[in-house]
Amino acid sequence: AQDKITLRLSSVNTETDSRAIGLIEKFGPGVAEFANFEPHWNGTLFKQGTELEAIARGNLEMSIASAQEFSSFFPEFTILTAGYVHQSAEHQIAVFNDPIMDPLKAKVEAELGVKLLTVMYLGKRQINLKGDKEIKTPADMAGIKLRMPGTDAWQFLGSALGASPVPVAFPELYTALQTGAVDGQDNPLPSVIDSKFYEVTNQVVLTSHLVDLNYLTISKAAWDAMTPEQQAATQAAADAAAEHARQMQLQKEADAVAFLESQGLKVYEPDVAAFRDAVQAAYLASDYAKDWPAGMLERINELAK
Amino acid sequence: MDRILKGLRHAADAVAAGMLAAMFAIFLVQIAARYVFSFSLGWTVELSLSLWLWIVFWGSAFCLRPADHIRFDVLYLSVQRPVQRVFSVICAVAIVIAFVAAYLPTWDYVDFYKIKRSSTLRIPLNYVFIIYMAFMTMIILRYSRMIVDFLRGKHDLEGKITSYDLIDTETGR
Amino acid sequence: MSLAFSVCLVVLCAAAAMGMPIALAMIVSAVAYLAISGQDLALASEQLIQSVYDSFVLLAVPLFIVAANIMNAGAISDRLLDFCKAMVGRFKGGLAQVDILVSLIFSGMSGSAVADAAGVGKISIAMMLKTGHYTPGFAGAVVAASATIGPIIPPSIPMVLYALVSDASIGYLFLGGVIPGVLMTLVLMVMNSVIAHRRNIPAEEAVPLRRLPGITLRAMPALMMPVILLAGIYGGATTPTEAAAVAALYALLVSGLFYRSLSLRALYDIFLDSSRSSASVGLVIGSALIFNYIVATENIPTAISGALVEMDLSRMEFLLLVNVMFLLLGCVLDASTIILVIIPLFLPTAAALGVDPIHFGVMSVVNCMIGLITPPYGMLLFVINGVTGIAIKDMVKEGMPFLFALLTALVALTLVPDLILFLPRMFGYEG
Ligand code: NA
Ligand code: NA
Repeated sequence: AQDKITLRLSSVNTETDSRAIGLIEKFGPGVAEFANFEPHWNGTLFKQGTELEAIARGNLEMSIASAQEFSSFFPEFTILTAGYVHQSAEHQIAVFNDPIMDPLKAKVEAELGVKLLTVMYLGKRQINLKGDKEIKTPADMAGIKLRMPGTDAWQFLGSALGASPVPVAFPELYTALQTGAVDGQDNPLPSVIDSKFYEVTNQVVLTSHLVDLNYLTISKAAWDAMTPEQQAATQAAADAAAEHARQMQLQKEADAVAFLESQGLKVYEPDVAAFRDAVQAAYLASDYAKDWPAGMLERINELAK
Repeated sequence: MDRILKGLRHAADAVAAGMLAAMFAIFLVQIAARYVFSFSLGWTVELSLSLWLWIVFWGSAFCLRPADHIRFDVLYLSVQRPVQRVFSVICAVAIVIAFVAAYLPTWDYVDFYKIKRSSTLRIPLNYVFIIYMAFMTMIILRYSRMIVDFLRGKHDLEGKITSYDLIDTETGR
Repeated sequence: MSLAFSVCLVVLCAAAAMGMPIALAMIVSAVAYLAISGQDLALASEQLIQSVYDSFVLLAVPLFIVAANIMNAGAISDRLLDFCKAMVGRFKGGLAQVDILVSLIFSGMSGSAVADAAGVGKISIAMMLKTGHYTPGFAGAVVAASATIGPIIPPSIPMVLYALVSDASIGYLFLGGVIPGVLMTLVLMVMNSVIAHRRNIPAEEAVPLRRLPGITLRAMPALMMPVILLAGIYGGATTPTEAAAVAALYALLVSGLFYRSLSLRALYDIFLDSSRSSASVGLVIGSALIFNYIVATENIPTAISGALVEMDLSRMEFLLLVNVMFLLLGCVLDASTIILVIIPLFLPTAAALGVDPIHFGVMSVVNCMIGLITPPYGMLLFVINGVTGIAIKDMVKEGMPFLFALLTALVALTLVPDLILFLPRMFGYEG
């Protein structure tokens, strides 16, 4: 009908990404009765990291936003970007639905007009290196030039892992690895395959140092304009899309190890406990921890059981 | 008055040149830090991007002469001077209307960023983006002056279009 | 197409035609679009600011401009060009041949055609004009056409963008660009030779062989620059963007210490000049990127792909049609817009028809680079106009033969995939 709501989503990921497939296959059909879901991939509508502003200013309805993006508005979100905080896909869901998240969600709604709909699983970030030096503990990472995204928070995580973090733009990363400008990079395993990093690296260290997530967000104004039934349908569609994407991503991660090994890469687990201890100690000693809401880390750890 | 404007223009030039030199130096520091001393400076990326933004809009606001602008001149150069002048004035009017219309919304946009901080230096982004307001302001002033000159019947536009330029008291390049 | 979008295009074309600075024309037409479609007028500013602030890769542009200006002022490029002159100057139209050869050397260290044109291209033009044998339009046209080689020979930013949207291997894409880059060099040199003979553009005085070692030695610090950069990039010292800063530093050291030809005052002028050029080029790039938002909002790409599915084409028909379409779009759109927005729409059809993704990628990038020199929207034309003041009209007129030559190369690359795929296959590509 003419009076259908338009829900435009802007995101930087490609159309073939699990998140995109989940939204196209589950979210769009789930809201089709009352809304036109109009996704724009590859950052063609709004640039990476500017979608929240676009929603806040009434120029966009939906986005897929990282905790890092929220932390540039609200420092307390850094707790959700820290290494070894989230431990699995299920743990992410438990944290998202726990009352401990309520004050953060309320603040985002009040100050940005953005509502967090659901949590999307990106995968466990692993360290992917050139060379055959075996990595057991953070001490073995000393002097390794590890590419991390360019912002301070990511660079901090790189240092916490014991490496020398290097900021390299993602489009330059393949060449940087090929030429040895960097010795390695960290991403979930499906990215190692999609971006062909396995062609120019020799090993994967399964540190699982960050279980990465995104939030599916919607404009508070668009949400408030819906009837309660429409809101319920939108929430159900969002959860279904996230679940579909999560299962796909988990499957991809499971398949990735065999593929990478078939390409001649060594894939192995280091002393994860040693990494976890070093990284958590680094965060707790840093300025980041000062912004964390009291008791939140304890509650999150509790939810992991 | 002319001497003041000229002094301001030289100062603006010096700032532009200094920002580019600073950006160059930051890149060298970044490379040196990484490869000579084997650690990385997170702030270099952000600062060089901020400087680039400022170079573009500071330069466009205060330093670009008419001849520095990239333009598509196929038709423009093939018509007579009087027609060129009419073209120039139509363009000036269109520019002033568009920039004035977008001025307050843009101010609102830039002001919005007081709640978002840059990722590394933690500077509120409204301070970074404010240079765009300077750019808009200067464009409006310049092209308004050109319309005023035209209405007053000044005939010094010629091919050089010198009065596009508010600060430039010399006769263009 | 919506009313707002139609008005936007009309305003853009009219304003640009009337001589409005192209960046301002794009901003004005974008504001018109937003006003008519009832959107936030700040969106034009938003897209412009964020495009400039977002792209680390773009930082190579001002740095390469600085490097080029130092080389120019510091007599480095003079010696490099002397060397190329000794090599190919003895032929008719020798300086233009020199420029094409220099472009090939430079393309091995730069990933961006814009940086190539703003850099060594600017110097080549000055040299050609100094002799009086070349019209400004011809000099600009040669430089624009030869700058398109830059992103075909690795390293290449556009190929990295293609790999991103296609999942094709960057390593094989880079290898796939080598033969096409050399092919483009050859067709441009042949075309230049034909024109030089017809117009009787004199050769430079042939350099006696006994002077060759001396010239080579004097040019050595300059000739070493690409070597040092390639070693820097491939040896792992710098990323491609940082290579631009290294280039500028090296030029500074060689000019200041080795040739002792750079005063402090000259250095200030170099940075001032470079900051002006950077501002005008940066403003145009940023303004162009506003159109990514508009095209996406209008769902233009989706409409195009829908139409294509209905046409039911053979593989060759598809490739030819796509080439024509990209060339037409290249007249009005930015290359990165085409690569990131338009090309993905054709990838599923290409795959269904059995087109090799590496072949499709390199061919498309060559096509997009040709789009950089086609009017009315030709980024290389704008850049050369920006740094030298040569009228775009003149470059377009004199550029026709070179455009034709490059199109010939494009047709060959389209019809004979082996030209692209030979090298990747040598290194193990199975496609
Ligand atoms: Na290149
Ligand atoms: Na074009």
